[in-house]
Amino acid sequence: MLDLRGLSIGGADGAMVVRDLSLSLPASGITALIGPSGCGKSSVLKWLAGILPKDLDAEGQLMLDGQASARPSPAISYQPQGDGLFPWLTVAQNAALGLQVRGLSRAEALSRVAPLFRSFGLKGTESQFPDQLSGGMRQRAAFLRTVVQDSRYILLDEPFSALDAVTRLRMQDWLVARLADRPRGVLLVTHDLHEATRLADRILVMTGSPGRIVAEIPVPGPPTQRSEAALAPLRDDLKSLLLENAP
Amino acid sequence: MLPSILPPLLLAACLLAGWEIYCRLADVAPLILPAPSGVLQALVLNRADIGAHALSTIAVAALGFSLSVGFAFLVSIMLHFLPWAKKGLMPLFVASQTIPLIALAPLMILWFGFGLLPKVLLVILVTFFPMLLSLLSGYRQTPAAFADLLASMGAGRLSIFRRAVLPSARPSFFAGLRISATYAIVATIFAEYAGARRGLGIYILAAKNNFHADLVLAAVVVSAALTLALLGAIRLLDRLTAPGSKARHA
Repeated sequence: MLDLRGLSIGGADGAMVVRDLSLSLPASGITALIGPSGCGKSSVLKWLAGILPKDLDAEGQLMLDGQASARPSPAISYQPQGDGLFPWLTVAQNAALGLQVRGLSRAEALSRVAPLFRSFGLKGTESQFPDQLSGGMRQRAAFLRTVVQDSRYILLDEPFSALDAVTRLRMQDWLVARLADRPRGVLLVTHDLHEATRLADRILVMTGSPGRIVAEIPVPGPPTQRSEAALAPLRDDLKSLLLENAP
Repeated sequence: MLPSILPPLLLAACLLAGWEIYCRLADVAPLILPAPSGVLQALVLNRADIGAHALSTIAVAALGFSLSVGFAFLVSIMLHFLPWAKKGLMPLFVASQTIPLIALAPLMILWFGFGLLPKVLLVILVTFFPMLLSLLSGYRQTPAAFADLLASMGAGRLSIFRRAVLPSARPSFFAGLRISATYAIVATIFAEYAGARRGLGIYILAAKNNFHADLVLAAVVVSAALTLALLGAIRLLDRLTAPGSKARHA
């Protein structure tokens, strides 16, 4: 279990971005973090990943299985907005990047990722460069790079926001299938209520000025068996909650 | 390839034709302004002599330019990691660019003699600064998302520099290389002009003193050709070393 306790983040101008925020992330399943722009969702993710900008003051505690943990932690992988693929590396080299940073030789890292290309729908793209891939393929490559690090927790910052509607739906289904193969605790930041209700097991609702969690809402049923009709009232509730708490 | 070089070739041909026609119709003395055909004739007749001087110029320019690029690369890394050193040293580097070469070149010859050293130092002085600025500008253009991603994986500053900053600076590096290359040949000729035993600079000086405008221009043609060849070599290097150049052209 990942526990974030009492996170407060102060902006460079002295204003509070996030105040006394706590959340828990189970070792499997998707937790969505939703909220209006600027409420501090990405800042929470960056703090957990250990990459919050130095001009922001932050205070809080990260606990992994009850033990205080330093950041960045090898137990946590982070996928930034967009795909963050390095244009000068091949798809295979991009996928192996995290393993190399964590100490594996280039050959070892590449041999570790090679068998996964088929299951990630990337077979044949190993020696291609990111600009030769479609948006969906790029997201798969980025997710492969994240998953292959074997971290127990994954932080996804609006991973599908740059994709067209159809590709986004396909990638959401694909993500659920991949996580069924390799269970991880995922914290998914998204603006998209459809995405949150389709993918997440529970939804944390944040509001801004300063950012805090105002509700934790479980989503009934496994993601593969949810009907649009059942999700519509939940989305209405989320909309109302966000509007009520809008600054 | 052909369409891209066609316009400059056509323009050059038009200019040369205009120059040739003017010299013939206006009956200009070759001592004052030789026609392109006269320059070409002088170049062919004196090719051995000009070639030997050009080789000397190439050697000095290549050595000075290579040392300058290496030096700029090392200094840029130091300044990237030590911001206080950058604050202290950048004004000095900027000031070094305000020293008139016309004043410095003779002093270099006075201090270091007619050998290789003063000429190489002058080439470094001229080409180092644009190279350094290009590299530092390239480092600054590294997308924050790349550095953040590596940091989240546990990469240290050196690892981030090697994996994200350095590759991000590649386009700026080659831009700096092209700018510095154009200065390298000119700076070498200037240094030779101030005092040397061999080289296109001293050849131009001797030709001018003997009122051989055709030989001066022939040496200028060779100098321009050397610069274009150097730029071509850099362009080729850029293409060959570009990520995926093999994969894309397979």
